[in-house]
Amino acid sequence: MRILITTMIWILVSAASQCPAVEKFLEAPIFPNAQVLKQTDSKLVLKTQEGFSEVLAFYKKSLSDMKDIKFRDWGHAIYIEDDGNRPWHSITIAKPSQSSGNGVVITIRKDSWTWIFSTLLLRYVGVFVVLVVILICMSISGTLLSKKFKASQQ
Amino acid sequence: MTANEVLDLLKGVFLTTGLSHLSFKLLVMWAVGAFFIYLAIAKRYEPLLLLPIGFGIFIVNFPLVPLMGWSHGHGELLRIFYHYGLEWEVIPCIIFLGLGAMTDFGPLIANPKTLLVGAGAQLGVFVTFTGTVLAGFTLKEAASVSIIGGADGPTTIYLTQHLAPQLLGPNALAAYSYMAMVPLIQPAIMRLLTNDKERKIKMKQLRPVSKQEKIIFPLVTAGIIALLVPSVTPLMGMFMFGNLMRESGVVGRLTETAQESLMNTVTIFLGISVGATMHADNFLSWKPLFIFGLGLLDFAVCTVGGILTVKLMNIFLKEKINPLIGSAGVSAVPMAARVSQLMGQKYDKTNYLLMHAMGPNLAGVIGSAAAAGMFIAMFD
Repeated sequence: MRILITTMIWILVSAASQCPAVEKFLEAPIFPNAQVLKQTDSKLVLKTQEGFSEVLAFYKKSLSDMKDIKFRDWGHAIYIEDDGNRPWHSITIAKPSQSSGNGVVITIRKDSWTWIFSTLLLRYVGVFVVLVVILICMSISGTLLSKKFKASQQ
Repeated sequence: MTANEVLDLLKGVFLTTGLSHLSFKLLVMWAVGAFFIYLAIAKRYEPLLLLPIGFGIFIVNFPLVPLMGWSHGHGELLRIFYHYGLEWEVIPCIIFLGLGAMTDFGPLIANPKTLLVGAGAQLGVFVTFTGTVLAGFTLKEAASVSIIGGADGPTTIYLTQHLAPQLLGPNALAAYSYMAMVPLIQPAIMRLLTNDKERKIKMKQLRPVSKQEKIIFPLVTAGIIALLVPSVTPLMGMFMFGNLMRESGVVGRLTETAQESLMNTVTIFLGISVGATMHADNFLSWKPLFIFGLGLLDFAVCTVGGILTVKLMNIFLKEKINPLIGSAGVSAVPMAARVSQLMGQKYDKTNYLLMHAMGPNLAGVIGSAAAAGMFIAMFD
């Protein structure tokens, strides 16, 4: 019995050590056996002939232990965003299309200050937009009601 | 009984007391709680919040106390307050209901361009976000810390609970502490950014605002917020509902309840729940101290943002706005407006800026809620 248990443990350990570790780019998992289309320090573009759902399942499983990960469906792609402080910022899994030759294109982007500054600026402007809309509505209603008030006084 | 058995008995009793589990960290937290209680009582800094928060910090940092844990399948006392009040984001919304019932939007309605000052004063929020990310906080934590500069307690709590609940205690404490210190933080910045001529600008008396305008305002604002920043509709919706009750003039009992008993009840639960989140294990790290430091910077940059917005507007306006009211865009209502009034009177005793400053002060509440909504939309 002891020999059987020891043998089973040895088999399991050997099997586990045979499983290839997932390759990573900027600590983001890379889909296995995907063809590299473009690679720079801040961006990696891959293409695979595997199905879109397989690719998505791979990333959902690889990222399942990580906090602050957001999956967004953009219609033509799934956009995976890191809201933590990992070196990578986003993984875009483009759905197959004629332009991509019916393969799935995966783009991994580095966390960049360009994105942070642009989104902050956009949102700061957004605060102004909200308040300008309120200002316009208040100005219109104020003008109309002031005229009505003056008319009623006369 | 033998002597050893008696000693074992006594030891067993001793182990059930907190004395056997005391640690240095807990003593430090007692001092922190006592400090905030001192600020509330002796210095009268935001006593309605700092007293319950200080006591919450103090009482929860005793060993073995059944306050913030779970037992017999349900939460303990303060855990229940925290869970239903803060985790469910109910308390900040009810506080805003009460605040809306207390607020007179007349000065803002009479001079709606001061809404832009409220927007400009959110500059610090976005600048601090960058600094917070650089310091190693996650994006969500950075958003929750940077909203402190908006000087709006319920908005800070609402956003922090949404994005980074682990920072609720330090963020709320920083927000309420600095709100109380507005008269200490702002004057130097106001002097630095304005010259003598600008400080003496006298503004035209505000036009009278009709009751219809005051009724339409909360409806229009709630509708616009719901359309453009839906994520903060619970907060701003309650704010505008409280205001509508007040301005309608037909639900006096409800308005009185919202202003007084409801507000007071919820303030007690808010303070003690926020304080209870600050156990030594969560609080004693570099992050809370950094938040306190950043909060100060945040406030300062928001003040700068408000003043600079007025100066920019004055380039295009025939009737100039006194830039001293720009600092009131930091929505510490009505403290920041009072600071503008006092500063204005220092340079011209006949210059009454209080009502003019209330416009940007109230606009800052809407502005900081809009900024919070922008952050929630960023991560949702």
